Amino acid sequence: MTIAAADAGPAAADTAVLAIKDLRKNFGGVLAVDGVSFTARRGEVTGLIGPNGAGKSTALGMIAGSVRPTAGQVLLNGVDIAGLPSYQVARRGVGRTFQLSSEFPHMTVLENMLAAVQGGRGDTLRSALLGKRYWRQAEDANVRLAAELMDRFSMTAMANELAGTLSGGQRRLLEIMRALMARPRLLLLDEPMAGVNPALSQRIQEYLLELRSEGLQMLMVEHEMSVVERLCDHVIVMAQGRVLADGTLTEIRSDRRVLDAYLAG
Amino acid sequence: MSTAWQFYLTTVLVYLGVDVIACWGLNLQYGYTGILNFAYVVFQSAGAYTYAVLTLGPVYRGDFQQYIVGMSLPFPLPIIAAGVVGGLLSAVIGVVGLRRLRSDYQAMVLLVIGLIATTVITNASGIFNGAAGLSLIPKPLQSHLNLTLIGYQWAYVLLVAVFCVIIYWFVHRITQAPFGRSLRAVRDHEQAAAALGKNVTALRMTSFIIGGVIAGISGALLVGFIGAWSPGSWLYQETFIFFTALIVGGTANNAGAALGALLVPVAFLEATRFLPQFGGPGLIDALQWVAVGVLTLGFLWFRPRGVLPERKRSLRLPEIAGPPGPAGQSGPAARPVGAPRVEDARRRA
Repeated sequence: MTIAAADAGPAAADTAVLAIKDLRKNFGGVLAVDGVSFTARRGEVTGLIGPNGAGKSTALGMIAGSVRPTAGQVLLNGVDIAGLPSYQVARRGVGRTFQLSSEFPHMTVLENMLAAVQGGRGDTLRSALLGKRYWRQAEDANVRLAAELMDRFSMTAMANELAGTLSGGQRRLLEIMRALMARPRLLLLDEPMAGVNPALSQRIQEYLLELRSEGLQMLMVEHEMSVVERLCDHVIVMAQGRVLADGTLTEIRSDRRVLDAYLAG
Repeated sequence: MSTAWQFYLTTVLVYLGVDVIACWGLNLQYGYTGILNFAYVVFQSAGAYTYAVLTLGPVYRGDFQQYIVGMSLPFPLPIIAAGVVGGLLSAVIGVVGLRRLRSDYQAMVLLVIGLIATTVITNASGIFNGAAGLSLIPKPLQSHLNLTLIGYQWAYVLLVAVFCVIIYWFVHRITQAPFGRSLRAVRDHEQAAAALGKNVTALRMTSFIIGGVIAGISGALLVGFIGAWSPGSWLYQETFIFFTALIVGGTANNAGAALGALLVPVAFLEATRFLPQFGGPGLIDALQWVAVGVLTLGFLWFRPRGVLPERKRSLRLPEIAGPPGPAGQSGPAARPVGAPRVEDARRRA
């Protein structure tokens, strides 16, 4: 059973998992995000595109809790999570990757992944003091889960390497694996292909397609149109802090305003 | 061994034990959690003063030293209280300094708090007798044990050793557990840790408070031995001795921290005692600080991870790819990307 299917009830197929309503962010007078609304449907991959400075990453940050919105709502399964700190958003099943690699450099690849397990045994002060015998079994189960993920992403050979020694592309893979380790219901990806060589980019795209086919909902900021075309069911175009267009890529392509924004931006 | 040498040896061993304990506390804060606690010696001092006022007994008017509280609690209560006070002070300072600030700013706030603390304690003479400090602080159980001077010295070495074992057990359990991994995740990348559901502030506070408790206990053990404590005993520079010890010994490695305590505050600073005196009075002391600075810089430049660096925690991977069979799954690399490996990877969802 896949994660997305696990919480999808019979009637859930067409419910929006993520609905953004009139989200605003004001950086000392600069309106980075100026009233953005869109919905991302369950089981779909939503692309967030737009020229530089359009407010895409800020919008993503507000959904993930790392940027505090000035106003607006972020509804996750109908519950407003706007303004919650990152860790609480994460505990509600939202995983994310960062625009710049964010591995834990002095920890091994495997440890990076184990760190993503939430509420595991031995992860509180009290249970840590109970000793290895108390958390050993849970740890072994998590190691097994991590091993399976690494196997799938062909990263098994790197398991016991320090994450700081990985190549740029491997760090990207690690970040995705680490986010998956927490079994998210929604995965936010901030330019997952940035700075990755074309061959590895292809591989990452295939992995993401595979996750999509398993029903994992994703929202990704991406610049490369071929990637958007291949991965995204649904595209939101942003420019100057606003949503310019919202639809399938074919619909978007014929939109005059989108072309203008890209040419002007 | 002559009495004089035994006396010297036991003194050095007690200092070593106290420094090892203090380094473990700072290592938890700095090595594992990445908190630059530039006020560390303040927490050690809080423990020392707590021990002092809880053993000195009631203060009389016109007494040569004036202090607050004034009780004489039996062993080991003053030492435990010293840990509690170290922890409480950490909680208060942590609430002010550790929330909503980036780690470099936290370091500055803590450094300033350390300087303020010294100034306040020096000038407010009613609290801990001001600049003159407290003296004639009773040694734990000395009146009950009926030992010779050297016998008591050795007994104190044993006491400190027992505390070393307890504190080591404590920090080892924390740092080897998944909880310690969460602390290191916060150290390595705060935002990423938060994005994985780690409550960064709570983890930092926990580590900071435990470090404060350990610092307080180390202070109590130190003052119980030397019997006197004044603002001159805990100048802000003392914190940097502990930092140097960690950098030299190896951060995020409890053995490295202990080695650093042996090499820097004990070996390095004791060795200079045996140098012939030269120059004006105070020159050697001043040069000691210069030497400590040079030592820190040298290590940061040539061996930034210390003599015993943080060790890589390799874990054995379970065999997951079954033997080559009808499914055609052989090795990790052989599996095509689209292969249905999803089920088991997520079966616990």
